[in-house]
Amino acid sequence: MELQAVLMAAGGGSRMMDLTYNTRKPLLPVGNKPLIWYPINLLERVGFEEVIVITTKEVQKMISTDPKMKLDVKMKLDIVCIQEDAHMGTADALRHIQQKIKTDILVVSCDLITDAALHEVVDLFRAHNATLSMLMSKAHEFTETVPGQKGKKKNGDFVGVDGTGKRLLFMANEADLDKGLVIRKSNMRKHPRMHIKTGLVDAHLYCLKKSVVDFLADNRSVSSIRGELVPYIVRKQFSKSMTSPNVNDEADQKLKKKDGNANVEIKILSRDEALLQLTRERSCWNDHRGDMSEAYHGGRLRCYVHIMDEGMCYRVNMLAAYIEANRLAPKLFDEPAVHPSAAISVRCLIGADSIIGASCQISDKASIKRSMIGASTTVREKVKVTNSIIMHGVTIEEGCNIQGSVICSNTVIGRGADIKYCLVGSAQRIEPEGEHTTAYYCLTLPSHTQVPLTSTLSGNSRVAKIQ
Amino acid sequence: ANRGGKQKKGNVTSEQEEEEQPLQAVLVADSFNRRFFPISKDQPRALLPLGNVAMIDYTLEFLTSTGVQETFVFCCWMSNKIKDHLLKSKWCRPTSPNVVHIITSDLYRSLGDVLRDVDAKNLVRNDFILVYGDVVSNIDVSQALQEHRHRRKVDKNISVMTMVFKESSPGHKSRCEEDDVIVAMDSKSKRVLHYQKTQGLKKLQFPMNIFQHGSDEFEIRHDLLDCHISICSPQVAELFTDNFDYQTRNDFVRGILVNEEILGNQIHLYVTQDGYGARVSNLQMYDSVSSDMVRRWVYPLTPEANFTDQQGQGCTHSRHNVYRGAEVSLGHGSQMEENVLIGRDTSIGANCHISNSVIGNNCTIGDNVVLDRAHMWNNVHISSNVEIHQSVVCDGAVVKEAVRLNKQCVLAYNVVIGPNLSLPEGTVVSMHHPEEEEEDDDDEFLSDDQEVGHTFNPAEVGPEGKGYIWKASMNDTEDEELAQCLWGRPLSKQNVCKVVSFQLEVLGTLQRGLEENIVCDNLVLEINSLKYAYNITLKEVMQILTRVVLEYPFQQQGTQLTTLQYTGSLLPLLKTWSPVFKNYIKRAQDHLDCLSAVEELFLEQDTHQTAMVKVLMKMYQLEILEEEAILKWFSTGATNDKSRQLRKNQGLQKFIQWLKEAEDESSEEGE
Repeated sequence: MELQAVLMAAGGGSRMMDLTYNTRKPLLPVGNKPLIWYPINLLERVGFEEVIVITTKEVQKMISTDPKMKLDVKMKLDIVCIQEDAHMGTADALRHIQQKIKTDILVVSCDLITDAALHEVVDLFRAHNATLSMLMSKAHEFTETVPGQKGKKKNGDFVGVDGTGKRLLFMANEADLDKGLVIRKSNMRKHPRMHIKTGLVDAHLYCLKKSVVDFLADNRSVSSIRGELVPYIVRKQFSKSMTSPNVNDEADQKLKKKDGNANVEIKILSRDEALLQLTRERSCWNDHRGDMSEAYHGGRLRCYVHIMDEGMCYRVNMLAAYIEANRLAPKLFDEPAVHPSAAISVRCLIGADSIIGASCQISDKASIKRSMIGASTTVREKVKVTNSIIMHGVTIEEGCNIQGSVICSNTVIGRGADIKYCLVGSAQRIEPEGEHTTAYYCLTLPSHTQVPLTSTLSGNSRVAKIQ
Repeated sequence: ANRGGKQKKGNVTSEQEEEEQPLQAVLVADSFNRRFFPISKDQPRALLPLGNVAMIDYTLEFLTSTGVQETFVFCCWMSNKIKDHLLKSKWCRPTSPNVVHIITSDLYRSLGDVLRDVDAKNLVRNDFILVYGDVVSNIDVSQALQEHRHRRKVDKNISVMTMVFKESSPGHKSRCEEDDVIVAMDSKSKRVLHYQKTQGLKKLQFPMNIFQHGSDEFEIRHDLLDCHISICSPQVAELFTDNFDYQTRNDFVRGILVNEEILGNQIHLYVTQDGYGARVSNLQMYDSVSSDMVRRWVYPLTPEANFTDQQGQGCTHSRHNVYRGAEVSLGHGSQMEENVLIGRDTSIGANCHISNSVIGNNCTIGDNVVLDRAHMWNNVHISSNVEIHQSVVCDGAVVKEAVRLNKQCVLAYNVVIGPNLSLPEGTVVSMHHPEEEEEDDDDEFLSDDQEVGHTFNPAEVGPEGKGYIWKASMNDTEDEELAQCLWGRPLSKQNVCKVVSFQLEVLGTLQRGLEENIVCDNLVLEINSLKYAYNITLKEVMQILTRVVLEYPFQQQGTQLTTLQYTGSLLPLLKTWSPVFKNYIKRAQDHLDCLSAVEELFLEQDTHQTAMVKVLMKMYQLEILEEEAILKWFSTGATNDKSRQLRKNQGLQKFIQWLKEAEDESSEEGE
């Protein structure tokens, strides 16, 4: 076994609370499959046979009991539960399962939907005996109007890669760079041509050396992989102690004895096996041109990144991404768009780009375009659904018009309601004949009731009843 | 040389309009600095031979071959020599495809002056190439030119300059340390966003606004060698006129980049991978460019090509890059190992060993001579048993028997060295005395008559030697400040001047303060404004203030004062000015700095050392200085023998003793 896969599925989805209030993020339906299915499928496709899933009790229970959440996967899921309220970061979670880690690991986040060729990332990891390799992709401009949300958030990640575009040289967030970008000249001498890329999203998919996990075990202050560990490793590539070529075992030991801090520093060294070292000395191969220094300039930590030029790569951590993913996800698998158990009237119109879940009922003259209809949903006559996501157990009464909206599970939409660009929380009742535009109808929290972000609720509309 | 004629016939018709106008170039045949002193005291840099051909000829050949049809050569330093040279050369023949106009003026002090003159005379009508007279290159810039024109057409004159760079990794020997630049560019549009010289910097800082130009891919490049070839729009000259403070191209580029949002001008770059281009900006570069030339990197500009088309300059090229001019005689057993260029009528004795060297015309070399990376110009005489390593020997120099030139030596014009001498690394010998007043430009011819009062030092140049050791070392040991200097004084000198004039100003202020009875607060105000005017650090202000005050009695009453008189007049002054002192001496470090200034002064005035304790005492009483600071200074401040001696002064010892006791007492009281 070369790599162990670890799936991080304990996140609550705090950036889209409206959706995740009733359904945990890993279980959000995307293309009628729970979100967590996608990374598992990704791993399965490339031949992993086992994955360690780190998640919460609640999610575990749902996966094992709820038939709607059943993951039809062949690979073995080794589910590790962590306490939900323990505020564990991703790095904490890794530390938690340190005992299970025997080799280098591949860490995937549960909200990743991608068709990336995973081997590109792993190949970089293998070829350079890297400490870390990761996947990034161009940030998507979300074209669809997001329900109840206006204005765009800018993602300001700065990534520096070398001339080949693979070696990760630095990484920073724009917010942290208020004093300007500072690069050490010595780094520039080693990597004289640095490409700075902005507008990338981190797919949160990392190959990590086992020594990094050991490092985490020793260094308890690191709690998040993306927030702390990765920037730390990227930075450490160029620190002196890491690049000095003759850190042999003896010195290593001495340092270990010295104090805990040095211990922490040195442990992360991915010590090249002696044979590998010898090979590198003997071969004429080099990772760079232009100067006479040895391969990797004698550095021992190496970070690589694969940046996807095309293909899809979404992190479903925001509403916009969720909607976009739903639109594109069906292309990822070749299952029939309409579930066999759905009861569909002959006289309704269903677009080819729509998905109908199991045991749905779609009545006459309904029209469904570019939408996803969850399991056990009832769609009555003359309903028009366009560009929308309808989760399971929803009832849409006659003559409704739903456009660009997200309707969460078990909601009932009254007859003739006109809903445009709205987000309707789960188990709501929307009164008949209402007309709603760009609004939230959310949740059970009284404080959260009816938050129209724009005042476009038309005058004669009756406000929907909230529970 | 004839490529100029065939340029870009196949171009699109839309560009024909512009094509009709001949391509122009501005060649600046002056470096506006003194890096090549003392060599360039006798010969302008553009005429120094590189591979036995004057450097300006390479530049002109480069311009011609890239399609330039009209070149304006601007000369200043020794303009007559350059003019003579050009008039004799093939460029001024009627058949020359490149018409050369020579414009001379003694008033040019920088590139900025030249370009302002270009604007004033309205010389350029279209895009032109700006180049220095010491650039050696074979880059075909027509591609860059096309890109430049295209950009200008698309963007309505927004792009004003395209700089030509050659790709070469850091550490490449043809990279010049001083010219090391870091460029941030937009990957797609090739626009320069940030341009910075990196010499002496450890960290490179890029402002964030350069990354917010809409594009999402940028490159930070440190693998570029500045060829000092720029394609300029006519606006460049105008911009230099508008901004009279632009001196160099560096000023210009930075100015444009900083004011990009106001002026809307942009600079682009063009990177070539296979061409050769370098500016001979110092001797290090001279050495590397010369050896690259001999190794044929600058093809088709090779030594045997005789592109200057001068009679007798031809030479033959044989394997291992050995070039021989006409009538070269080589003694028995002599070896020319590799990369050797020998000019015509040169004779070499027996059993010599020559490698990686260039030897000029009419040289004579004795027996058993070892030359490695030597650059010998014309009419040089080398006697037997001489060894020369990586050195430059200028015209007419004579090296006598058994002399050894170690690395990076320079023998300037007509110097005689030896016999039996070994010059240490980095020695520069010149016929010009280093203290020789830097006279006007008309002192350009060799003055082999030495000035009275200067005699040659046989220890330096050998028993039969002629010449003086030049003070500033010429080679790469050069301090970075000199690199920045334009015409004349290096910055360090300016700095000294700055301090001296600040000191005088402070003195004047204090004097006036006494005479007119000005309040100390106002004095402080005045000194503060002076501080900003002269850009002096706070530490320096304090040191200078201390010095001025302590020297004040000498200043007023002459240096012949007795110690008693001195203290008599100083102590009241200290009292008067104590608020001024207190204003500047606040932190612990200030106290120590002030004390070291006091110490420095009394080390100089060693006859008045006994007064020191009184001064310290007074300053302590006036609460200018704290006892802790004094004690600390006394115990730790001694760095050399003299200051240790100073601390043995009895009065001082007593004073310190007293201070200590006082401290003990007070601390006891405190308890």
